[in-house]
Amino acid sequence: MTPRLEADDISVFDSDGARLLEPVSIRLEPGRPLVVLGETGSGKSLLSQALTGALPRGLKARGRICLGDTVLDAARPADHRRLWGREIAVLPQEPWLSLDPLMRAQQQVSESHSLVRGLGRLRAEQAANRDLAALGLAGAARRYPHQLSGGMAQRVAFAAARAGGARILIADEPTKGLDAERRDEVAALLLQEVAAGGSLMVVTHDLDLAQRLGGEVLVIRQGALVERGRSAVIFELPHQDYTRRLLAADPRRWATTSPAQTGTETLLEVQDLSLSRGGRSLIEGLSLRVGAGEIVGITGPSGCGKSSLGDVLLGLHGPDSGRVERSVARPHAYQKLFQDPPSAFPRTLPLGTALRDLVRRHRLDAARVAPLMQRLRLRPDLLERRPGEVSGGELQRLALLRVMLLEPVFLFADEPTSRLDPITQQEVIGLLRELACQGCAVLIVSHDPELIARTVHRSIALTGGNGAGPDDRSHAGLAAAFG
Amino acid sequence: MAATGYRLLQALLLALFIGVTTFAMMRSLPGDMAWRIAAHRYGYDLVDADAVRLVQEELALGGPLLPALVQWLTDMVRLDFGTSLVSGESVIGEITHQLGASLQLAAVALALSLLLGPPLGILAGLKPGGWLDRGLLVLASGLRAMPQFLLGLLLILLVSVRLGWLPAAGHGSAGHFVLPALTLALGLAALSARIARDAMAAVAASPFYGFARQKGLSDAQVLWRHGLRNVSVPLVTCLGLQFVTLVEGVVVVESVFGWPGIGHGLVHAIFGRDVPMVQGTALVMGLTFVLLNALNDALQRRLDPRGTGR
Repeated sequence: MTPRLEADDISVFDSDGARLLEPVSIRLEPGRPLVVLGETGSGKSLLSQALTGALPRGLKARGRICLGDTVLDAARPADHRRLWGREIAVLPQEPWLSLDPLMRAQQQVSESHSLVRGLGRLRAEQAANRDLAALGLAGAARRYPHQLSGGMAQRVAFAAARAGGARILIADEPTKGLDAERRDEVAALLLQEVAAGGSLMVVTHDLDLAQRLGGEVLVIRQGALVERGRSAVIFELPHQDYTRRLLAADPRRWATTSPAQTGTETLLEVQDLSLSRGGRSLIEGLSLRVGAGEIVGITGPSGCGKSSLGDVLLGLHGPDSGRVERSVARPHAYQKLFQDPPSAFPRTLPLGTALRDLVRRHRLDAARVAPLMQRLRLRPDLLERRPGEVSGGELQRLALLRVMLLEPVFLFADEPTSRLDPITQQEVIGLLRELACQGCAVLIVSHDPELIARTVHRSIALTGGNGAGPDDRSHAGLAAAFG
Repeated sequence: MAATGYRLLQALLLALFIGVTTFAMMRSLPGDMAWRIAAHRYGYDLVDADAVRLVQEELALGGPLLPALVQWLTDMVRLDFGTSLVSGESVIGEITHQLGASLQLAAVALALSLLLGPPLGILAGLKPGGWLDRGLLVLASGLRAMPQFLLGLLLILLVSVRLGWLPAAGHGSAGHFVLPALTLALGLAALSARIARDAMAAVAASPFYGFARQKGLSDAQVLWRHGLRNVSVPLVTCLGLQFVTLVEGVVVVESVFGWPGIGHGLVHAIFGRDVPMVQGTALVMGLTFVLLNALNDALQRRLDPRGTGR
């Protein structure tokens, strides 16, 4: 029987004593998931970290945590350590980075069996093989993490986290940056755990995942509890204004984009394009015409060649065969918006310096920066900070600003919002729509069919070429993640 | 397989390069070559014009360069290293004798540096910014900055002259090993400690280290199973680079401590213009370096599976 976890008045303070999280009390019961919802930077992760005693250095928690007969003080995180693996399992956020790169999958699971549960070496290995087989990973036991796809790594991490015998599972953003298929996998994995009588707490900004898990929902904003209640009730009848805004930001509830004016100027024409990567054919015989002001969606599974297609359309790579014609000859008129904003900016330079360099390099009018920033709802003081010191949404809007300074006629947006929370995602997509209204053609790559359905005028589904089996997919996924 | 072939080709090219450059360098050294050789044979006090002329005629030193070089290269292909111009003994015999002494010293120095450097570095890396970390940074920078001959002399002054604990120079007993090995080891340990410290700090801050702790493993178990293995990868790479320092250091340290090794022999051969000895010694040192690096590569591949299968 999984013990009940009760936490009373959990709050978090920084080193100066400022309160980052207002007191929150929770009950975690077997079979009833608890979902903590909120946007990035709302303090929702602080709650799970305070519960597990894993707050970042310098932060302090207060409150009382009861687990069965054990009573813990949140202010003394060292005492939580003996619960790790034995009572509480923490599912890591970036599964690939959370596995030891030099150790085979099976060993990473079996060491929990042997060192935490105290099984003998042989029995621990057998138990690990059983765990992996139960998750459909029987063939992957001898593989190293770099030989696993993202989804497989997630399942290995799941098995490793739970192998010590813990029945309370805590997951922080388990679906961040995953494509639709792998998101479904994670949701199924978590629900299976609940059905088997385990306790589950999930911290997320993924509204779809939250709704699927059900149970109880806590909405947190700026370190304070906004609303709590049964999942079904919250999603149907939210009481608070903020909750309503958060739920409305779910792509499934968006209004659709009004149709584009047809018969406008052609900006890009593709005829009979074929494309392959690493000897595998990705795209064959694609023809496409994109006009001014059009928004075109590109969908397909990981590794099907979405990003590669973008490179070819922008002229960064040549196609294997076929013709790509860009009708505007002005340099830098065809632009790209990247998936992961922090990696699209120099890490050590203040953002203002990066922008000034751009203005100088292309001899732009520096006076255009300020009104554009205002339009993108960016505060001027952000320019003094470095990329790591602003939120992901702000950084993506700055990336958009950088693109807009060059007055593009065509923008290829590669998963521009997959790492952003729903409210910020809605904002960024709104800005892309505005850009299209001014005559720029926008191609949006996304794994979210709901987002595509409501944003674009038409869409292209890529299948990833001929007969891509599950094994192929894992390699393609690797290539996409590292490439 | 391809890697072995590549290494063999590398060794061959290296041998050719060493042969030609040492030949050219020895020929372009200032001073009368025959006089130097005669002086080393008979002693500086006894050498006279006749002795010099005799040496010149015996060794045909006045001859043109190219035939001499070609002669040496063909001898090399026949694995004939020639005889020493000074002692008249076969070069290969002298070198194998000296190499044994040098390898002993180098092995003891390397083992000592591995006992000192990485453990201290790992302890420092577990608490970045702690007193051990800061102290080690100062000590390691100081040791790296100090030339080996100076460090060797300081150790002799302190341990042998002042305290009288150990012999200042020589070879034969275990006590003779301590100072030269320590001189070499301190320089090596200074670098490996820094590498181990940075690697440990990076590994300890990595998500997989945190996850291993959250799986329920104790700190010691996490360090043993995940820490050391991951720290060892950059450390082995660093070891490969340290062979250069070691070869270099052997020349200096052997001279300072009068250690009858290959480095000591090389210095004497250069002074005596003993061209076959210099060429043979440089060649053996170069090939040893290639061999050690090949072994290092193999070890690296065993430790880190990510490099294979690409």
